[in-house]
Amino acid sequence: MIESAAVKDQIREYVLEEFAKTKGINQITDQEVLTKNGIIDSMGIFRLVAFLEETFNVRIGDEEITHDNLESIDAIEKLVISKAKK
Amino acid sequence: MAYVLQQLLSKSAKAYPEKIAVWARGRSITYRELDERSNQMAHLLRKQGITKGDRVGLFFPKCVESVVSMLGVLKAGGVYVPLDPQAPADRVGYIIGNCGIRVLITNHEKREVLTPETLELLESCISTDQAENGKDGKLIPWSMLAEFPADHAPAVSLIETDLAYILYTSGSTGRPKGVMLSHQNALTFVEWCAEEFHVRSEDRLSNHAPLHFDLSVFDVYNTLEAGATVYLITEELALFPTSLANFIETQGITIWYSVPSALMLLLLHAHLTPEKLKSVRTILFAGEVFPMKYLRQLAEMAPAAELYNLYGPTETNVCTYYKVERERLASLEKLPIGIACANTEAFAVTDDGRRAAQGETGELYVRGPAVTYGYWADQEKTQKMCVPNRFEQNFEEKMYRTGDLVTMAEDGNFYFLGRRDSMIKSRGYRIELGEIESALLSHPGVREAAVLAVPDEIVGNRIRAVVAIHVPDSLKPMDLQQHCSTRVPKYMIPEVIELCVELPKTSTGKIDRVKLASAKEPVSVR
Repeated sequence: MIESAAVKDQIREYVLEEFAKTKGINQITDQEVLTKNGIIDSMGIFRLVAFLEETFNVRIGDEEITHDNLESIDAIEKLVISKAKK
Repeated sequence: MAYVLQQLLSKSAKAYPEKIAVWARGRSITYRELDERSNQMAHLLRKQGITKGDRVGLFFPKCVESVVSMLGVLKAGGVYVPLDPQAPADRVGYIIGNCGIRVLITNHEKREVLTPETLELLESCISTDQAENGKDGKLIPWSMLAEFPADHAPAVSLIETDLAYILYTSGSTGRPKGVMLSHQNALTFVEWCAEEFHVRSEDRLSNHAPLHFDLSVFDVYNTLEAGATVYLITEELALFPTSLANFIETQGITIWYSVPSALMLLLLHAHLTPEKLKSVRTILFAGEVFPMKYLRQLAEMAPAAELYNLYGPTETNVCTYYKVERERLASLEKLPIGIACANTEAFAVTDDGRRAAQGETGELYVRGPAVTYGYWADQEKTQKMCVPNRFEQNFEEKMYRTGDLVTMAEDGNFYFLGRRDSMIKSRGYRIELGEIESALLSHPGVREAAVLAVPDEIVGNRIRAVVAIHVPDSLKPMDLQQHCSTRVPKYMIPEVIELCVELPKTSTGKIDRVKLASAKEPVSVR
């Protein structure tokens, strides 16, 4: 069983280390739109998806790689939890 | 015949007043509204003191108001300067100071990004937000437009050689440089496109490129020229291939223009089918080399579409083009950049100064009315790149040195071979490695820095840096990436930074880039 709070922490940590900090952003809220201001770029989206699949052992289809599903840490967490339940 | 860009709008506003001109973020504007709002914007700018030749910055994410602002500035006789809405405050501030922008069209969120020093330079800011009460009285709300006449633009006497816009690109000396483009420069290109691609009023054009990128000139002005509709693709939508493919299908896009990497993302991740692209009749791409493997896939997905490889630096807009010959796709090993556009001459010049013969390598030179006058407030750089045409004895004119090495093959097409200098392309963006090196060197802990391009099939190049620091273990790669983020756009921040005590040198004491490049295997996607 995946623990929601732990999932969120891991996602936040990854996004911060992998994308935000290298771009001079040291803090992001769970609601912040990650695609805005170029925190994550087009190649970054696929690195993020690969990370989620590997870390949480879920499968994310190309058709699920959408703005609604990945726009914020909250949205990503929701996607991962919904996938893990299946 | 139009001699200034805004005449393209006047013509279509008369012919198709109720047709949608621009669509963005679920909102749209008709030709009549675009004409009226831009008239109002021109009057408002006049009231703010903008007169002929004055620069006005545009600093906000793509939306309907972007096109209103561009046309409004032109109608006021001004010169617009599109600023990358994602660029760091330092870079935006530099550009505002460099070309003397006193009036900025922005929004509340973006204005917050600017430094106090930059705000000092600005006399007023016009906000694209409907209602905005600037505390300091410097923010004028969009709703203010309603107070100005809509039925006519202010009187202004412009001729075709007056400037229309300035596009800033990466500069090798550490600061971006502003390419000055006149109405004539833009119209030479727009008229060629109208003729070659037969843009019609029924067409639906996409705009994928950011507005500070010269690809967008086609999207916006060829739409206006034809009385067609342009669909502005926001940065957020561009990130998600499946959503983007659905967008193309549901909006019925007929003409697509983007960098190849955007098309490759669609091919790799959008589950494309010919059905999804069935409305698209013409696909144009430019800005980087399109690998043949992916071009063949694209041709299969859009079996009826005409495909064009367009080539040219911002300084000339597109200067050569190659219409993809489907029957040659299977055998062609490398995609040509083709032949010169109408009203443009392009030729290769050898190292010893001769015009290159067929099969010889030379630097591509361009002459004609599409070519820039040079760089804003940079005589030295202008003289280096825009040189007197020594092949013409009878009158004086300039020609532009592209810095690109090319050869003309037996098929009569030019082929791109490489660069003369250290400029590279990544996702179609022009990047001077020297600008990144300057950013790294501006950190007090850095002694030496070398920035290298690592070739990548999808994005063109990835950026790797090797940095020698004064005190071992005093800095982490992340510190330097953060430092860079305050000076250069995100796409220029090195993905990988390796730290060392000293960079390897050649026998003449220069940084040994060959050794550095071969030292490590290419960086892969983590």
